[in-house]
Amino acid sequence: MIEVKDLSKRYGDRLAVNAISFKAQPGEIVGLLGPNGAGKTTTMRMLTGFMPPTSGSAAIGGFDVVEDSFEARSRVGYLPERVPLYPDMTTEGYVTFWAKLRGVRQPAQAARAVLERLHLDDRSKTLVRNLSKGMRQRLGLAQALVHNPPVIILDEPTIGIDPQQVIEVRETIAALRQSHTVLISTHILSEAEQICDRVIIINQGKIVAQGKPGDLRKKLNAANLESVFLQMVNKDKRA
Amino acid sequence: MNGVRTIFGREIASYFTSLFAYLIAAAVLLITGILFINNIGRSQDQVAPNPAAIPDFFAFALIFFAPLLTMRLLAEERREGTLELLLTSPTSDSSIVIGKFAGAWAYYTIILAITFVYQVILLNISQGQTDLAHALCAYIGIWLYGGACLAVGMVFSAATDNQIVAAFLASAALFLLWIGDRVGEVIPNINVARFIRELTLQSHYASSFAVGLLRAEDIVFFAGIIAVMLFITIRLVESNRWR
Ligand SMILES: Nc1ncnc2c1ncn2[C@@H]1O[C@H](COP(=O)(O)OP(=O)(O)O)[C@@H](O)[C@H]1O
Ligand SMILES: [Mg+2]
Repeated sequence: MIEVKDLSKRYGDRLAVNAISFKAQPGEIVGLLGPNGAGKTTTMRMLTGFMPPTSGSAAIGGFDVVEDSFEARSRVGYLPERVPLYPDMTTEGYVTFWAKLRGVRQPAQAARAVLERLHLDDRSKTLVRNLSKGMRQRLGLAQALVHNPPVIILDEPTIGIDPQQVIEVRETIAALRQSHTVLISTHILSEAEQICDRVIIINQGKIVAQGKPGDLRKKLNAANLESVFLQMVNKDKRA
Repeated sequence: MNGVRTIFGREIASYFTSLFAYLIAAAVLLITGILFINNIGRSQDQVAPNPAAIPDFFAFALIFFAPLLTMRLLAEERREGTLELLLTSPTSDSSIVIGKFAGAWAYYTIILAITFVYQVILLNISQGQTDLAHALCAYIGIWLYGGACLAVGMVFSAATDNQIVAAFLASAALFLLWIGDRVGEVIPNINVARFIRELTLQSHYASSFAVGLLRAEDIVFFAGIIAVMLFITIRLVESNRWR
């Protein structure tokens, strides 16, 4: 569903993403794990068609993100790192707007359904600016799901919300596994371990390890992913 | 087309749910109302009322009024991060810009249309003595003039995240495009002065539409300005993909 080949992005003379390749299949939650500045957001921005790669290619559902940009984009639901909101709209108006823009046949109905799924239906007439932080995060998720895209890309979806809400968001993401291909980024190891079927560890724009959380642990003979992660990141720093 | 319609719909709805937009409309209608009463007052002194009085006022007021309507259009999308979602939805960059422009122009059209009521009242109390064709001509002119001002305002909204800066720069640009009509008063060389005048918005309104002259070249001029400004705005929006 997601196919990335030798993808690179250069900002000026800084190589933010350095020839990464990976695949993700339907029914799979893949985690992009790495410290701040590793290149997670940049990778996602290329996959969602926000910015073109410097070299290499990426495809969503077989459609190249540059050559067939609209086809690729219409198959993705995206939640950027900072939840993009229209503070003056109602919750329902906000989700309906994105549904319409993505060509959903019955946008109002789709919006109500997704709000119910994310337990925001009792807030459908509330102005977005009056929502709590956790609700905003769920609303961001709602806009990414409303057109029922096969691929869902979430950039650090649990950042900056309280622990109870983190659990809720993780449950919601885990439930997406059945019918979607999910790519999430995080810098929290335990999170990747908990919800991802496969983890791709990225540091300074390069993939340093990938595999099932358990296999990675075994292969590198480490007690948990935390030490694998630190091992990788430190080795890279020394190099 | 779906993109243009959806963006347009959101823009129009946001004008009608924004207190700020109502305040702008109220201020414009208050001032034009006062102008209208003065204009009728003149007619009682046996001087014919000016059918272009209200459009003439708009020609000046747009310097401040247009930037207030356009300043947030793209600056806010960037600041809130919603531009990233717009640019990753299956919609072209030009649909986003055109939808937003159409929303602003439609809102302006509504306000302008409300002031046309004055013209109808005038027609009634003057028992048909008013020059309605002249008034219509001035209204067509100021409608196009307004579209051009809004398009100029959008360029600045796309160029910065700061709405105040966008409004200020747009006002400055529109002021030059207005005052430039009088450049002849400071530049003695007739050809240079004429050339500069040709480039201003005001010259394509004040000496034609405002006096009841409907000329194709002025219509083409305003349409051309709108097209060029929208093109620049689209390029600026697109540039967000590169930084
Ligand atoms: N628009 C940009 N212009 C220049 N450099 C950038 C830009 N965005 C990100 N970078 C740089 O690219 C690197 C990767 O950033 P990013 O993809 O945001 O990492 P992450 O999301 O993993 O924290 C960082 O060093 C960052 O400073
Ligand atoms: Mg990031």
